[in-house]
Amino acid sequence: MHDFEFLRFVNIGQYLPTGSVIHRLDARARLLAGFLLLVAITAAPHWTGLVIALGVLLVGLVVARIPVGYALKGLLPPLPFIVFLAVLQVLFGPRSAAVTPLWAWGPASISTVSLLNGALLVLRFVALILALSWLSFCISTTEIVRALDALLAPLTKIGLPTHAFVLMVQVTLRFLPLLALEAERIAKSQASRGAEWGTGRGGLLRRARQALPLLVPLFLTGLQRAENLALAMQARGYQGGKGRTTMTPLEFRLADAAALALAVMLAIVVICV
Amino acid sequence: MQDNLQAFPTGSIYPLQTSLIEFTNVTYAYPLPNGGRIAALRDVSLRIEAGEYVAIVGANGSGKSTLARHLNALLVPDSGRVTVAGLDTRDQAQHATIHRTVGMVFQRPEDQIVASLVEEDVAFGAENMGLPSAEIRARVDEALATVGMADMRLRPPHQLSAGQQQRVALAGVLAMRPRCIVFDEATAMLDPAGRRAVREMMVNLHRAGLTIIAITHFMEEVLDAQRVVVLERGRVALDGSPEAVFADPDTLRTLGLDLPPAASLARTLRQRFPVLPTGLLTVPALVEALDALPHHAADLPVTQVEPVPVVGTPLIEVRDLGHTYMLGTPLAQRSLEGVRLSIAEGAAHGLLGATGSGKSTLMQHLNGLLRPQEGTVRVGEYALHDLQTDVRAVRRMVGLVFQLPETQIFEQYVGDEIAYGPRLQGLLGDSLRQRVRWAMELVGMGFNAFKDRFTFALSGGEKRKVALASILALRPSVLLLDEPTAGLDPASHRELLAHLCKLKETGMTLVLSSHQMEDVAALTDHVTVLDGGHSILNGRVTEVFAQGERLRALGLSTPVITQVVEGLRERGWVLPPGLVSSTALIEALSRTLSSTD
Repeated sequence: MHDFEFLRFVNIGQYLPTGSVIHRLDARARLLAGFLLLVAITAAPHWTGLVIALGVLLVGLVVARIPVGYALKGLLPPLPFIVFLAVLQVLFGPRSAAVTPLWAWGPASISTVSLLNGALLVLRFVALILALSWLSFCISTTEIVRALDALLAPLTKIGLPTHAFVLMVQVTLRFLPLLALEAERIAKSQASRGAEWGTGRGGLLRRARQALPLLVPLFLTGLQRAENLALAMQARGYQGGKGRTTMTPLEFRLADAAALALAVMLAIVVICV
Repeated sequence: MQDNLQAFPTGSIYPLQTSLIEFTNVTYAYPLPNGGRIAALRDVSLRIEAGEYVAIVGANGSGKSTLARHLNALLVPDSGRVTVAGLDTRDQAQHATIHRTVGMVFQRPEDQIVASLVEEDVAFGAENMGLPSAEIRARVDEALATVGMADMRLRPPHQLSAGQQQRVALAGVLAMRPRCIVFDEATAMLDPAGRRAVREMMVNLHRAGLTIIAITHFMEEVLDAQRVVVLERGRVALDGSPEAVFADPDTLRTLGLDLPPAASLARTLRQRFPVLPTGLLTVPALVEALDALPHHAADLPVTQVEPVPVVGTPLIEVRDLGHTYMLGTPLAQRSLEGVRLSIAEGAAHGLLGATGSGKSTLMQHLNGLLRPQEGTVRVGEYALHDLQTDVRAVRRMVGLVFQLPETQIFEQYVGDEIAYGPRLQGLLGDSLRQRVRWAMELVGMGFNAFKDRFTFALSGGEKRKVALASILALRPSVLLLDEPTAGLDPASHRELLAHLCKLKETGMTLVLSSHQMEDVAALTDHVTVLDGGHSILNGRVTEVFAQGERLRALGLSTPVITQVVEGLRERGWVLPPGLVSSTALIEALSRTLSSTD
């Protein structure tokens, strides 16, 4: 029934301005805190760390006044992929001679270790997706861009084109929702011409073939939009970051430092327990 | 000062003074992938003085946009010279100064917005100039106030209507304090209220002393300008006042252009009433001229109140339809509520409403792209609220042509593109060829001449026809059209309307949404007006357009004929109700004007 609302439960990239304590922190503090958490989740060696991270995220969602149910629904679209990866991990993950498999057939085998690894993988991905959603609920794309710009500024001294990089991030972030809407429009249009979109029918191969009428126009309009935007930016005098100033300089206060310190501590806990 | 400019539009009597913008023998060609070049500007010489209001018009491919991009050094000439405030655009070092002297508002509002917050987008240009923060803040505040968007400063741009986004884009240009602003078809994608607002701003900015250059396909917008430059295949074909350019409709036609709707109506009326003066370009001028003719209070013919024809069960029946996007998320957005609609078989039905009023959402319910969340939708024998209904059968019966359908073309050859739908239906070989040929002929494209043409090399109007044919090839009995004529040049627009009229005559049921009231009046018999997701007016096109006041309050407008009738009524004329065609108006006038017989 909602086959065309591709973005309905994809909440990564969806900013929710609830005006909570977290939303009022300096953008740099929020971005760094989120980044630390992501690194910690990726690096955490044990399931205890991941469970702690999940707990921290749930508290973070509540403090940020995000409906937890909505955040959890964001796990649904990628779930099939995660399960698929977990099954691969369980069946074909690295085997050690010390562990006797519970079941084996050719290259595939299941052991207690591989089961544990599979569970760890699911847990890690769930935490990563939640952390990414949490970050995007709490920080707008504009803020990400400004924070990145400020954080990377020192690198311009050694000759890195950080402004160009930041602008690239900004344009990508702004265009993703537009492209998603465009994809929806094109899919609907091709469905009106008899394609199988939105009818829940057709096999895998057939679906893959139908991607062509979707991808070609999407690619072309994407290019067209990019060109239009480049022209519009040039017309407004953009010449790279050289000599650019900003309307609203960022302000780093004590509360931001405290929040950042808390994030550092939590990240250490997640990795080291 | 303005009088002087009108008297010497080309400024040629001041040879020593440099003009704001000066083109001298400018030639430009776009490189082609095969190494060739395609000429876009051929030997163009043009001067634009500070404080002028210039409209640039021409058919698709005449070089308007290429010319526009030379105005602020986005393109530089292959040969010849362009200077802006005396600076040669080929001098890279001057580009920063040129960009802040001549600002530009582009056609697609969503493509020119950089930031995800209104005020930050407005600040972008000023930030590029390297101004101090406080100065940027002051300029942004001022620019937002000028375009009336101060309340929206903290909103994300994608939540705004197209008209509002265009005002944000204009504010971004204003914050750079340019001397000249180029509007490159900036009103093409807007609803009537959005267009009105942007046009008003252009006029006000001109009054405030800015130079305005407007590129447009809408001839009535040309009337705001003091001077019109008509381009044809890369050359300046005409250059003069709107009055002078519009005095010769036949030449205009050969240049692929048209008269403004009011002037066109005046011309039609003059064929019947030769006493009307020439040179009537606007509704007020036409009303004034008609009112000046000797007339009498005609004895009104007994108005035949036609009963609403009862045609059994209508083909399309929508009852209490409601729809919410992103249902069940914090971003849920109500789009339709309690919508009612019924359309008889073979009728042409118009949907009117401002951007975001729910027209597209409603249309998508009529061919099963969206299933009703609340209420019922019945199309022919199919009940779409019943989840057992096979939507594919509905989609075969009801063809939907989206806005800017040419952006969805994906095949390399015209013939393959049109054959895509029928092929999925299982058509093969000769019957497929026959079907494609039939569809192409319906939109006036020769099968042999076009089937092997590359789709990407077609003109905008031709692409639109291919997109239309690719839906017609499914042989739908109902055709839904979302803004079918948006963005087309006058000649393609005229041609497409003629094809749609022919389709209507074949008995096909048409449902069309449009911001072009003239199109709605020309094509449809019944109209539904949507406002904020509610269907608030339902009726004959004559009845709906009789409510000019109400439509304007909803951000819509009425066709010029209705405006003329309204104007005459205000001056005490007694005219029968329901005049939306020129034939009906002529008949009514011939009863009222004393001198005609």
